[in-house]
Amino acid sequence: MATATASRLAVPAQRPSTTATGRRRAAALSPAPVGRPRALSAASRGRVVCPAAPASASASTSDAGQDRLQKVPISNIRNFSIIAHIDHGKSTLADKLLELTGTVQKRDMKEQFLDNMDLERERGITIKLQAARMRYVMNNEPYCLNLIDTPGHVDFSYEVSRSLAACEGALLVVDASQGVEAQTLANVYLALENDLEIIPVLNKIDLPGAEPDRVAQEIEEIIGMDCSNAIRCSAKEGIGITEILDAIVTKIPPPQDTAKSPLRALIFDSYYDPYRGVIVYFRVVDGRIKKGDKICFMASGKEFIADEIGVLSPKQMQVNELYAGEVGYLSASIRSVADARVGDTISHYSKRAERALPGYSEATPMVFCGLFPIDADQFEELREALEKLQLNDAALKFEPESSSAMGFGFRCGFLGLLHMEIVQERLEREYNLNLIITAPSVVYHVNLVDGETVECSNPSLLPEPGKRRSIEEPYVKIEMLTPKEYIGPIMELGQERRGEFKEMNFITENRASVVYELPLAEMVGDFFDQLKSRSKGYASMEYSLIGYRESNLVKLDIQINGDPVEALSTIVHRDKAYSVGRALTQKLKELIPRQMFRVPIQACIGAKVIASEALSAIRKDVLSKCYGGDISRKKKLLKKQAEGKKRMKAIGRVDVPQEAFMAVLKLEKEVL
Amino acid sequence: MLRSAFPLVSHLPPRKPPPIRPARPPPVRPYASSAARPSPPPASAYVHLPFCRKRCLYCDFPIVALGSSSSSSPVDGEGNDPRIADYVRLLLREVAATRPVSNDGVPLETVFFGGGTPSLVPPSLVAAVLDALRGKFGLSASPEVSIEMDPGTFDAAKLRELVGLGVNRVSLGVQAFQDDLLRACGRAHGLREVHDAVGIVTACEGLQNWSMDLISSLPHQTEEMWEESLRCTVDARPTHVSVYDLQIEQGTKFGQLYTPGVHPLPSETDSANLYKIASKWLSEAGYNHYEISSYCKTGYECKHNVTYWQNRSFYAFGLGSASYINGVRFSRPRRMKEYADWVQKLEIGAWSHEPDSAGMKDMAMDVVMLSLRTAWGLDLRSFSKSFGKSLTISLCNTFRPFVESGLVIVMDMERRALQPSDFKVDLQYEGEIGSKVAFIRLSDPDGFLLSNELISLAFGVIAP
Repeated sequence: MATATASRLAVPAQRPSTTATGRRRAAALSPAPVGRPRALSAASRGRVVCPAAPASASASTSDAGQDRLQKVPISNIRNFSIIAHIDHGKSTLADKLLELTGTVQKRDMKEQFLDNMDLERERGITIKLQAARMRYVMNNEPYCLNLIDTPGHVDFSYEVSRSLAACEGALLVVDASQGVEAQTLANVYLALENDLEIIPVLNKIDLPGAEPDRVAQEIEEIIGMDCSNAIRCSAKEGIGITEILDAIVTKIPPPQDTAKSPLRALIFDSYYDPYRGVIVYFRVVDGRIKKGDKICFMASGKEFIADEIGVLSPKQMQVNELYAGEVGYLSASIRSVADARVGDTISHYSKRAERALPGYSEATPMVFCGLFPIDADQFEELREALEKLQLNDAALKFEPESSSAMGFGFRCGFLGLLHMEIVQERLEREYNLNLIITAPSVVYHVNLVDGETVECSNPSLLPEPGKRRSIEEPYVKIEMLTPKEYIGPIMELGQERRGEFKEMNFITENRASVVYELPLAEMVGDFFDQLKSRSKGYASMEYSLIGYRESNLVKLDIQINGDPVEALSTIVHRDKAYSVGRALTQKLKELIPRQMFRVPIQACIGAKVIASEALSAIRKDVLSKCYGGDISRKKKLLKKQAEGKKRMKAIGRVDVPQEAFMAVLKLEKEVL
Repeated sequence: MLRSAFPLVSHLPPRKPPPIRPARPPPVRPYASSAARPSPPPASAYVHLPFCRKRCLYCDFPIVALGSSSSSSPVDGEGNDPRIADYVRLLLREVAATRPVSNDGVPLETVFFGGGTPSLVPPSLVAAVLDALRGKFGLSASPEVSIEMDPGTFDAAKLRELVGLGVNRVSLGVQAFQDDLLRACGRAHGLREVHDAVGIVTACEGLQNWSMDLISSLPHQTEEMWEESLRCTVDARPTHVSVYDLQIEQGTKFGQLYTPGVHPLPSETDSANLYKIASKWLSEAGYNHYEISSYCKTGYECKHNVTYWQNRSFYAFGLGSASYINGVRFSRPRRMKEYADWVQKLEIGAWSHEPDSAGMKDMAMDVVMLSLRTAWGLDLRSFSKSFGKSLTISLCNTFRPFVESGLVIVMDMERRALQPSDFKVDLQYEGEIGSKVAFIRLSDPDGFLLSNELISLAFGVIAP
């Protein structure tokens, strides 16, 4: 689902104009019932007996849409993904494949392509086509090629792994003028873990700076893969596309013919459609699924009737039945994507498979933060908005939280930072909510003196120092690929973020891979931005969780006039507590208006003050004269002053403007 | 022709010896009776005489600058400007067109000629206005009739004439005792005129009650200059001193030139210090600091201004002036043409005070804002009676920390200061408000100095 999550969250409003394969667009253009071709049902009905029977050769029908629906023997099915770094040309290549196979008309392609670029770049994730069924004829033999797209961000690596698990092969697309990037590498490893056949493709060979030989060598060195036959192409110029299609047919193995086994279909994506409920994307691994079947989801335990099944080509096109090896979608009046999670196995209710497909896992939020409406009246709206988002995002968790400084809001859990940003942005942009967002926190494991271990993702709820024996924090292994001139700055960054240097390898003469192990908490914040700015944008990174480690962590509290401000509490490493404390108190001093009394602003660890500032008292605020008894102006001024106070939050006796909280929370994100 | 034709009222009986308790307000109706509707009819009238020789650089008032055409004698000169007579004629039309609030003839206890520079107006015209007011509303047996006068705009004869008409209180706009500062303010007079004017006022028979008006926190004003001004003021022995803290208003020359707290204006701390010095020096010289910017010898409060602080109603006449009648505050147009049009509407009955629309919240704000400016403070019982006990208790709770920090003072029925602990006990007591605590006021000088902060806190309680 989160393959979809990525794109869906990123480009909510623009969805209708997303890729040709954009589902909503498809739905809008051809509403399901109308779009059902009569010829199709006849054709497919005729083939029920022999799903793997050879198709009636290259049907010379002018309706390209129909011949794509024709069944081919399972030995002629190829399921594949494209692995590529952002900007390395995945979308362009996908578009070219669709175009050359006649899946999408050239005229339509352009428009889709152009629509997408800005958004993709803005968020650094690929707006994908989810899946597309193509018909390709090679040596007079028709093949059914299913392209299954993957999201391009490490926050969604679970979803990537499920998409890859639905394939037998992958195209590894690398920009011949650039080289392999960290994220690509991570996905290649995922593909290798899933036993995928990988076809290296060197893209953009038309560019003057292209060095296909160097890049081929780089891939060989880094991945250890033979690149002597790497396909050289320019998706943009249409060079090498046929070779790629031929390679897909010849190199990627067909799915196993297990059509006679009980149904097992792997969900690799799902999304919520307000009119039809959840649309589930799946790959039939074993058995067959027919329209009207009573199905069950083995992990969620939910049962449904498959009201509609079909394929994506790239629009949704209804079919009656799908067999092992095929890729399609179904709609079954499912109310929330949480009931049809990515990685879950679809089986028949009455003839349930013995075991679910491997690899399913629950979404585990890694990053938490508090979301509070600036206007307390928006609390209910915020709840509704989160509930709506959750319909389409099973990984989003939230529960109510209240804070003396912020009022009522929600503690929310996210897969990662990108996921968090996307949700925040949607809440603000689409739901018009003005939010205060607390500094993100990871999930700590707190070992208590009584031997118990509790999880804590909210600094203000950290058990008292006397009750805890130690705190463990999640660690990640992070691999950064960088041109050699930025190795220094990047190692500095690793060092600053409490990183433990693991290894460095020159993957080519000019590029190195730098591996650190560091606390996830240090990545939450501006790590990625820093990496980019310190390498002038050239470095890339990838990380994976490697477990929990004990750290010397302390809870840093902020007190204003002696009153603690829970929302500003953070968990930091002891060595950083002083500088963080200083930065926060200084910022607060700048932003809190002076009061009628001196206000100490302190950062404390327990009872110990580690940084302290003070606001001096206002000395004078008086309007001296009521000329001629005209008090209206004076009253207006005082009313305005009173209004100003109302917009502030009272911390004890001190009025703190909301902007001060926001600025400090922003600062926390930067300094933590 | 306008001519003074009414009997003189200057020979008022000599003042009674001052009352023993200085902190008592003058014997007037408590504001609370006006907070509870219907408010009693006005017994005060403000008359705006907007003419000045030129606009002072800090002034954003509705004035008419006559221009510095004449270096002639202060007595005639500008006095003959036809614009003044024209304006007074308009003013008299407004008085004539105004219906007294009460039919049973509540006479005016106070009349205040403000400006502008009212001393530029020929006494005969002042007489005509007084005449009209008397005819329309009646004057009490011993009204307070104040007039603002600027140094250099009058001589002894003119003052005598005014006093002869019934004027018995002069507010002398001295502002500073330093030529440099007067010049920097764009005042139309220098230090010599100041000394002359003080001489004329103190020498005038029949005029016991006069006020020296000063401005603190002027650009380039030093602590020494301020102390010099205060010394000169005390030496002149006025019965009343008004000390205004300079406000930098948008649209004035000062507004373009200066930023509060930034040189050449004194810093906030220095400015607060000037206020404190005034409070200390004038108190030591025997003046009561009875309102944020007003000091007086015992018994010499400006009765007219006290009307404002006690939230009682008052008439107002003239350009840009603000009246408070039947619970409605109304400010007249600030431009002459619009004012003239408005007077005409009033005359033909095309304008009337809108029915009382001020809500209770606004009324409560007015009471708090005005009474907390004074040393008498806010009458808690009366406030509770008018606006409810729970609001009163919320207000007290809001102020409690400031009672403890000394910015707010609680007082008993006799206006004796109480300990903060008494306040706490009293608030916890479930019975009637003010079993012991009867008044709260802002302390002098610290509470007064932060009056905006404290009053706006109260506003937040009244209109949450």
